Amino acid sequence: MPAPNGMAVFATMLPTTLLVALAAVGGLLGWLRPGLPPSFHRWLGALALVGAAAAALVVLRGVALANGVGLAAYAGGVVADRFSTFAVLLLCGTGLLAILTSGAAEERLGPRLPAYHALILTATAGGAILAVQVEMGMLVVGLGIVVISLVGIVAMEKTAEAPGVAAFRSLVSAGVALALMLYGLAIVYGATGSTDLAAVRGQFLHSAPLEGLGLALTLLGLAYLVGAPPLHHWMLQVASASSGAVAGAVVSIAVAAGGIALVRVMVSGFSATMHPWVVVAGVLGAVACLYPALLSLVAGSVRRLIGFGACLQGGLVLSALVGSGRGGGLKPAGGVIALLFGLVVFVLAIQASFQAVARLEEDGIGGGLAGVRGLARRSPMAAVLLSLGLAGLAGLPPLAGFLVRILVASSAVAGGYAWVAVAGVAASAIYAVAVLRWIGAAYVEDDELPVVPHRTPRLASVVGLACALFGVVAMLLAGPLLYAADGAASVLR
Amino acid sequence: MNFLAQTTSTTTTTTGVTFPTLVLTAMVWSAVVFALAALLMPNQTQDQLRRIKSLGSTGAGAALFFAIWAVETQVSDAAGGTGGIPGGDLVEQHSWLSSFPIASSYHLDADGVALSVILVVSVVFFCAALAAWRNQRHVKLLTVCLLTLETASLGILVSYDWVLFLLFWTLAIVPVYVLARAFGPGHGTRVATRYAATSLVSAGLLLLAAVLIAFQAGAHSFDMGVTPVSLPGDGETVAFWLITAASLLAMAVVPLHGALLDLEEDSTGVLSAIFAAVLPSLGAYTLVHVAVGFFPTTSGSFSLFFAVLAVVTVVWGGLAALRTDDLRRLIGHVGTVFMGLVLLGVAGHTSIAITGIMFLLLARGLVIGVLMLLASLIQERTRRVRISQLGGLAWQAPFLSAFWLLATLAAAGVPLLAGFAGDFFIFTGSFPAHRWASTVVLAGTLLASGVLVWTAQRVFLGASRDTFERARDLGPLELTYIGILVGLIVLIGVVPGHFAELFQNGAGYILFPGVA
Repeated sequence: MPAPNGMAVFATMLPTTLLVALAAVGGLLGWLRPGLPPSFHRWLGALALVGAAAAALVVLRGVALANGVGLAAYAGGVVADRFSTFAVLLLCGTGLLAILTSGAAEERLGPRLPAYHALILTATAGGAILAVQVEMGMLVVGLGIVVISLVGIVAMEKTAEAPGVAAFRSLVSAGVALALMLYGLAIVYGATGSTDLAAVRGQFLHSAPLEGLGLALTLLGLAYLVGAPPLHHWMLQVASASSGAVAGAVVSIAVAAGGIALVRVMVSGFSATMHPWVVVAGVLGAVACLYPALLSLVAGSVRRLIGFGACLQGGLVLSALVGSGRGGGLKPAGGVIALLFGLVVFVLAIQASFQAVARLEEDGIGGGLAGVRGLARRSPMAAVLLSLGLAGLAGLPPLAGFLVRILVASSAVAGGYAWVAVAGVAASAIYAVAVLRWIGAAYVEDDELPVVPHRTPRLASVVGLACALFGVVAMLLAGPLLYAADGAASVLR
Repeated sequence: MNFLAQTTSTTTTTTGVTFPTLVLTAMVWSAVVFALAALLMPNQTQDQLRRIKSLGSTGAGAALFFAIWAVETQVSDAAGGTGGIPGGDLVEQHSWLSSFPIASSYHLDADGVALSVILVVSVVFFCAALAAWRNQRHVKLLTVCLLTLETASLGILVSYDWVLFLLFWTLAIVPVYVLARAFGPGHGTRVATRYAATSLVSAGLLLLAAVLIAFQAGAHSFDMGVTPVSLPGDGETVAFWLITAASLLAMAVVPLHGALLDLEEDSTGVLSAIFAAVLPSLGAYTLVHVAVGFFPTTSGSFSLFFAVLAVVTVVWGGLAALRTDDLRRLIGHVGTVFMGLVLLGVAGHTSIAITGIMFLLLARGLVIGVLMLLASLIQERTRRVRISQLGGLAWQAPFLSAFWLLATLAAAGVPLLAGFAGDFFIFTGSFPAHRWASTVVLAGTLLASGVLVWTAQRVFLGASRDTFERARDLGPLELTYIGILVGLIVLIGVVPGHFAELFQNGAGYILFPGVA
């Protein structure tokens, strides 16, 4: 990828720089001018994210004009290509949703709202680094920024005890995950003598158990972000303890950034030809699908149910990874396409679900089964949001999560891992049963409780509903979305 | 990339303008369009509720209109040999997911089996929408769910792409679950959950089969238009059994019948009619059209399994019908016996037997639909569900009694009624291959028919009872929707030849796709 280094550095880091700069501006303004209205910070954050997304598109144009493949900088440690553009657009969209729905948590965040917005921007910036990195050092930097920002976001709600505990647990889990990944990378470096992922691939020995262990530890560390066992408790804790808006922001950014990091490191870097990590990903994916799905059958609150659903999406991300190699007839198995399409769908379903939780909180409705009973009569919009969000997480048609499951199962079978497909399908069916129980309660178990007055901010409501309805739109527009995902995946082959 | 690459058949108008045939699209989606309209309507006053009900009837009516259009188009083409097999006037195909390594398209078409079930589904839903006019509970929910279920059911029948097929199959689960919970008794949650779990298992099995076929067939496509499917190694057997297991779960044959029977028993009349008449037919369609149609050779090699299962299902269903005292459960058992006959037809594995299945599915839906609706009307009038608590109703409700008796005779396969052709062809087609099984199944069918006649005697004949003195006969609305169903039962019984060529072509295509 020959390109002038100055131009390449500018191109690869432009979205990240923009996000970090505007995060700093927003944070400083919040500190120096505390009287500024919350909407100012909201729109500043939105502007930063839209600007970063536009910058990513400009860079893509630059790539097309330069060589059509990608621009590399920092001695090949970062690259800007179609995949990074797709990833940055996804991350900016996720961050934008988090910013626009922050109104629902305004009361709990209080004067920390500017810092909350700044942390969303830095988490997105960290995700953008994960999207462009192809080297171990940059990977650790990007992951560190994402993790610390997300823990900080959870800790923003320190007025209540539960979010504080959730933040602490997230921090501990993040520390373990980072340690696992660092150990893994250190082993791989020790075995191959290089921190460049492409160079590592070239020197990898299939028979070396040490290298396999290194890859497995790296994968375990990265899987933390998508809420895969054994480091999944933080996601359940955040889903249960944080307010709906904050939990939606943290979980959706984590899943998006985690999915992107997994693709960049495991597929682009190590590649599916390095067999050991694919098997580990398959086992991890199967467990990450089945474990939360089974637990969801006994979920006592809608927050836990959504938390399990979010973990299940992480399991599907890992399941898609096993189909990232070649399928029959040397055609690509399609795992990366399914994963990228899935990330778009998962992020929106997670956001829609947590917006429903936020709405239940704002309207003073409990999150237990008793609170949800007869919701359609008491708060129709909350019922619609909740059912669409949950159906999206469960992959029930006509929402696009259904299509994602077919694509993930297809790619897993094509990649030679039919058992991973079976686990994913079984887990989805189990989770769907759990979800139907709650949706049924919302619509049919009418009680005599009074109709609830609507108190959720209009913007948060509209964004939440748009996220929920996008599940249907994504089904109709699956062709163009898959086309974009295919374009992004093509540079990784 | 062309997202809308079109291979749809077109219609040329007198002005020379061509436009794509959209009959199947209109048929499938018209109901859900009306459902969306109903969803947005307020539902506070009686007037508003009436408007929602009107939308329900109109939506089901629109779907029925397009269904009749589709069926009659194919009937008229049948003489030329093109009606009843895929690739005719009705085909619609647009590229959908071309960027994924396994491509998928919006591909709709219909063969003889599909058309027979399409007619039943659309008629039963229309009559159910009319019957639902008397309902006052959860009006909007009932209307929206019924119309969504109709779209899902019709979609299953015309999907020629695995992704679409699975989409509609899974979509059908949600409205059934919600309706079962809304209108079921106290333990409705358990019954609904059990059924949903069963259906989701069948959807999962179908998904795995679809992926296996799409990947192993080598075409890298989810298209279902290419049959028979040839898979390497054990792939064919595995895929066949995955589809068969999913179909048998949906058909509710013994021993997989509990979930659907409970659902039928616990729901209100309109829903019982739909659940009993439509849902097993979709499973039977999948078994015949997909399992047998994709793998005619493999299915032929397992014909003994189907014969044994047919015997078990029919004998068990007949004996259970004899033993039960619940009117709706009895009809459910009779429905199970019909499914046993379908299995016998599959075991027979001849064109005559498959033709018989199509006639049987047509008749079964109508007969079970009528009986379930009548059972709910009896329950509504007498407040009794136990057969032993009923009697002498013929004096108060002569029309109701007459319609019940007619449906009973049709179920028994009496000539000049819809049930005859199906029974006749299935036994004729299956007897040479499975003599003992055919004989036992015939005995079981006679037992079930006898139970129905005996039930008619216990419910309608005997001395008039004071308890039911105020039980009224069918009103104009009830006469309308029951009359439509009974009229069709008689019409198909009198002129079965109208559909004969259509179904024969369809059967030929299923067993000998290369030849057809």
